[in-house]
Amino acid sequence: MSGKKLLNDFFQFIFPFIVVGILWEIIVDVGLITFIPSPHELLVRFYQLSIQKNILEKHLYYSFYRLIIGYLLATIFGIGVGVLIGVKKIVSDIFSPVLGLLISIPTIAWVPVLLITFGLGDKTVIIAIFLGGFFEVAYSTIHGIRMVDKNLVNAARIMGADRLKIFSHVLLPGAMTSIIPGLRLAIGYSWRALVGAEMLAAMVRWGIGKMIYEARFWNDIVTMFLGLVVIGIMGMLLDKFIMGYIEKETIERWGMIEKR
Amino acid sequence: MSKIRIIGVKKVYEGEKKVLALDNVNMEIKENEFAVIVGPSGCGKSTLLSLIAGFEKPTEGKILLDGKEVDKPAPDRGFVFQDFALYPWRTVLKNTTFGLELKGVTKEEARKQAMRYIKMVGLEGFEEVYPHTLSGGMKQRVAIARALAYEPEVLLMDEPFGSLDAQTRKLMQMELIRIWGKTKRTVVFVTHSVIEAVYLADKVFVMTARPGKVKGIVEIDIPRPRDYTDERFLMIREKILSLLQEEVEKSQKIKQSME
Repeated sequence: MSGKKLLNDFFQFIFPFIVVGILWEIIVDVGLITFIPSPHELLVRFYQLSIQKNILEKHLYYSFYRLIIGYLLATIFGIGVGVLIGVKKIVSDIFSPVLGLLISIPTIAWVPVLLITFGLGDKTVIIAIFLGGFFEVAYSTIHGIRMVDKNLVNAARIMGADRLKIFSHVLLPGAMTSIIPGLRLAIGYSWRALVGAEMLAAMVRWGIGKMIYEARFWNDIVTMFLGLVVIGIMGMLLDKFIMGYIEKETIERWGMIEKR
Repeated sequence: MSKIRIIGVKKVYEGEKKVLALDNVNMEIKENEFAVIVGPSGCGKSTLLSLIAGFEKPTEGKILLDGKEVDKPAPDRGFVFQDFALYPWRTVLKNTTFGLELKGVTKEEARKQAMRYIKMVGLEGFEEVYPHTLSGGMKQRVAIARALAYEPEVLLMDEPFGSLDAQTRKLMQMELIRIWGKTKRTVVFVTHSVIEAVYLADKVFVMTARPGKVKGIVEIDIPRPRDYTDERFLMIREKILSLLQEEVEKSQKIKQSME
């Protein structure tokens, strides 16, 4: 990709945000809406919190540290459980209904329970992130494995593949059409669970969710809004650049999904 | 000596209602023979092929390959599917080397051998692309290269050209005969096209409508490459068509009675 095209893409990406930002600024400045801060106030606060005080980075650092651990656990266990249920009928018969029940519980509803069993600190937040992503990953893995074309398996069998080879060379890559979009949804759910859990876990001192929650005590609506905007931007960047990239380099490249 | 013997094979599918797909099928296919099985749709010809492959087991009777009973799929056979069944996450080369990798052949050797077959099917220069970028005819060429690359003794082909357009189909028939001439192998080819059968086969098995049985065997000794308008070609075609005619009508009646 040429530098010019990259620059062009960047402007296309940023342009709608600039337009909405300007409209928002005007609406607040002329006094049409008074209960939200204007973009320039947010920018000033961003400057103070990040460049002057180095607080914002610290909040983000802790949030990402928890996200990475929780999300990796969700990925590992989600794919593991999904594979077991997807491959073994007996496991599926016993655990699928339970999974169907658990998936409908909003992650945030788990948090009070976790606070008691795992304490008021990091552990609770990480487990909430894990729960946020786990079910989606498990479900998309089960679905993906079941959707693999039977002839792909038969082709491998006649070429002499044993069960393990069929699993690693056919079922797992074949299930990627479902697993990768599942991982993409899951990181969004994990991110939301993270913010919620940080607010509720009293012993947690740092984290972007905590920043919002604490600003409440000072009636600091600008910081709260800045927190919201940062959460939104980070979530979007995670999805678009990291997960989007993975999707593009795998299932999109293999022609297993339509190009977006 | 016959390469494949099918003895009294019966296949019943248990379901809401029992379906008798094949009933007392007997066939003998010689080494290096090009055998074509032709029959009306739903006659169980694809089922028979998947029994030879070992994907499924016969309810009764047995299938012998070199005198040994077939009980599971193994790399002494190669299979070409109608829908290609290529691995989308593997390049043309990687698809073709898969059987060799499973055999434990070294990477370098596998690559060399795969390239030989990729050249043979006329896909040189495409070895690094992913299958989804290829046309249907090219995909089927990859599938043929993949099935041949690990050098199975028997090639099983399940309506391999069924999803191709008429032009490509004709071309692929020619190509297949050319490749078969080079590699000399026992082939069992399933189709519902009589013209295709007469063009390709040493021996045609005509099957009845459900339950599938062998209705007749037609040996063809017209030298290759064959001409679709040759008098002998047309005669044999007529012979097979008349054998099939009754069966097609019968299978229509079965369909109607099911509706």
